[in-house]
Amino acid sequence: MTMIKRQHKKEDIMTNTPLLEIEDLYARVGEKEIIKDFNLTINEGEVHAIMGPNGAGKSTLSYVLTGKPGYEVTSGKVWFKGKDLLAMSPEERAREGIFLCMQYPVEIPGVPTTTFLKHAVNAVRKHRNEPELDTLNFVKMVREEGKALGIDNEMIKRPVNVGFSGGEKKRLETLQMSILKPDFSILDEADSGLDIDALKVVADGVNALRDGHRSMLVITHYQRLLNYIVPDFVHVFADGHIVRSGDKTLALELEEKGYAEFVKEK
Amino acid sequence: MAGLIQNIALFGENIPWFQGLREKGLEAFKHQGVPTAKTEAWKYTKPRDLNADDFVMNESNFLLELAEEKAECHCHEKSCHCHEDGCHCHEEGCHCQDEINVLVDLPFEAYQLHFYNGQFVPIYPPLPRGVEVMTLMEAVLNQEAKNYLGKLVDLANYPFAALNTAYMEEGSFIRLDKNTKLDKPIIIVNHSETGEQNLFYNLRNVVVLEAGAEAEIVEWYKYAGAEKSRYFANIVNEIFVARGAKLKHYKLQNEAFKANHLALNMVNIKEGGKYEAFCLQRGANIGRNETKVILTEEQAEAEVNAAYIMHGWATLDTTTDIEHLAENTISHQLVKGVVGGDAKGVFQGKIHIAKHAVKTEGTQLHKALLLTDTAEIDVKPELEIFADDVKCSHGAASGELDEETLFYMQSRGIGREEAKQILIDAYLDDAVNKIADSEVRDWFKEMIKA
Ligand SMILES: Nc1ncnc2c1ncn2[C@@H]1O[C@H](COP(=O)(O)OP(=O)(O)OP(=O)(O)O)[C@@H](O)[C@H]1O
Ligand SMILES: [Mg+2]
Repeated sequence: MTMIKRQHKKEDIMTNTPLLEIEDLYARVGEKEIIKDFNLTINEGEVHAIMGPNGAGKSTLSYVLTGKPGYEVTSGKVWFKGKDLLAMSPEERAREGIFLCMQYPVEIPGVPTTTFLKHAVNAVRKHRNEPELDTLNFVKMVREEGKALGIDNEMIKRPVNVGFSGGEKKRLETLQMSILKPDFSILDEADSGLDIDALKVVADGVNALRDGHRSMLVITHYQRLLNYIVPDFVHVFADGHIVRSGDKTLALELEEKGYAEFVKEK
Repeated sequence: MAGLIQNIALFGENIPWFQGLREKGLEAFKHQGVPTAKTEAWKYTKPRDLNADDFVMNESNFLLELAEEKAECHCHEKSCHCHEDGCHCHEEGCHCQDEINVLVDLPFEAYQLHFYNGQFVPIYPPLPRGVEVMTLMEAVLNQEAKNYLGKLVDLANYPFAALNTAYMEEGSFIRLDKNTKLDKPIIIVNHSETGEQNLFYNLRNVVVLEAGAEAEIVEWYKYAGAEKSRYFANIVNEIFVARGAKLKHYKLQNEAFKANHLALNMVNIKEGGKYEAFCLQRGANIGRNETKVILTEEQAEAEVNAAYIMHGWATLDTTTDIEHLAENTISHQLVKGVVGGDAKGVFQGKIHIAKHAVKTEGTQLHKALLLTDTAEIDVKPELEIFADDVKCSHGAASGELDEETLFYMQSRGIGREEAKQILIDAYLDDAVNKIADSEVRDWFKEMIKA
């Protein structure tokens, strides 16, 4: 929380207003129960990190929250801004302000990145009763936001993610986040495949959105990312739920000891 | 009286060569009848779905007009159809020239020819020198059509073309003199709407490009009345591309969704001539665009591309037959379709390379996107290669929209239907991008979105 104070002097309003509340959530993919008895509340302005072994169900959690088909909630509730999140379609969730920075962004051959971005921006703006952006203003905005992320005009003329390097894909995910300005972002291994400079670029992009109101759930395997995107809370995720929570020092501890202790805990 | 063979008087019965053609057409149609599912060329698009008995033909427009008193031109009305030879009045209040723009709004400049339910609307666009545009009957009366009409149609094997020949009367005759280059496209717009009766009509166009001429012709079939209008348009185009001539031929089939639309394009290309065609089908209950190109002399070249997009119960059929009869001839085909609902897409593509047609190149690719489990495609590629040393290929593929991709787009706030449309546009894009005229290309892209 001290970090937040340092970064946002004026807007230091940790309101303790819940933004996302996950209660007793169970979910499965196919026949396999992956999320079990999961509970977590994220207040406005908070950044939570989730760490956990491969295959624990971290990406599954992010898909359940964003409504991916095939990820079936068997019981439990999720409230987003007090609304029943699980009753919404994926696009409604996005328009309400949920964003998933994907571990494996999808390539869309034939669809220029600009076309894709414009449709996304205007869908969200429409939902917020804001006027749709015309091409000129849209291009201007993308150029400004893209600059900081090292994304040039050439790149966004290309089809979405097609032939993008791993790092470029992650930067494009971050660009989408900067443009859509979601209230709640889930970053699923935003650091994977990034070199050190790119990591800083992406982290800066993410941090630019932190204003004391917006919240984030950062999924990562490496403590290093958390040096750049400093969390208020760190959770250990194993066997379908959170097995331990702490502050940012927990990440350092995990880096040293690994997950063995927690995985056995069940 | 219903059915496709109807006893109506037609204009021009006293012109022996012309009437003779009609009689041959009628005989050939009677001999073959409406094809059945056993007819190889109609294996997938079932002729019985045409419900041929439900339609009636209009009385001859020409004979009706002759019977009426010739009206004088007052030209004060918006819908002035007075002119025999184009409107010469320069009076205030004459909207004759306006009407050309009123009739259809196009995103590009073009010489417009209009037909309503297959009948010519007498507005003649002002044409540059070396270009002749007249109705088919005018070209029959002045004998210009005599050397061309019926020359490319094989009556014995194309029953609906035979039927068209039996009743030919309406249509246009377009001819470009040697080395004439048209400055903007000629668009032929056929507006259809039917009232109490379901109309059946035949349209016959003849296009002649003399040596070195260059032109672009656009056909647009649209419904003017209710979306539910039922009518049956049977179209035959005979196209002659002489030595070194170049024709771009684009077509938008946007008929009412209960209509039948059958079209046959017969194209003959001489030495070094080039024919570039693109047909977008997005309307009709049964829509078939059939193109036969004969590359008769060396270096003749054809591009026959198409796209189709449909929902509901429609059957849209793209049938091609490219005959390479000479050395060093080239043909390319790219056809892409999107099929939803319970609809059916049909592609029958044939490449024939004659024995002496060495060093030719013929490629063909059909791809379709199926939007539902009940959507269907039937594809029949046929290669008949009798020559050595040729480059020939064909391919077909079908796929579905990718759920991962749709979710990715939805997770950015894009509605599922909107996301599908974006992917559909992208899917058809490489075919539509084959259209050389960028204005027509953009227009077709808009039509795909609509
Ligand atoms: N579509 C699916 N069908 C069957 N099993 C699945 C499916 N998707 C995920 N799983 C399984 O669910 C479990 C959790 O996967 P998930 O991707 O959520 O793990 P993760 O914690 O994100 O792992 P990582 O750290 O490697 O990214 C894994 O055992 C995985 O194999
Ligand atoms: Mg994962």
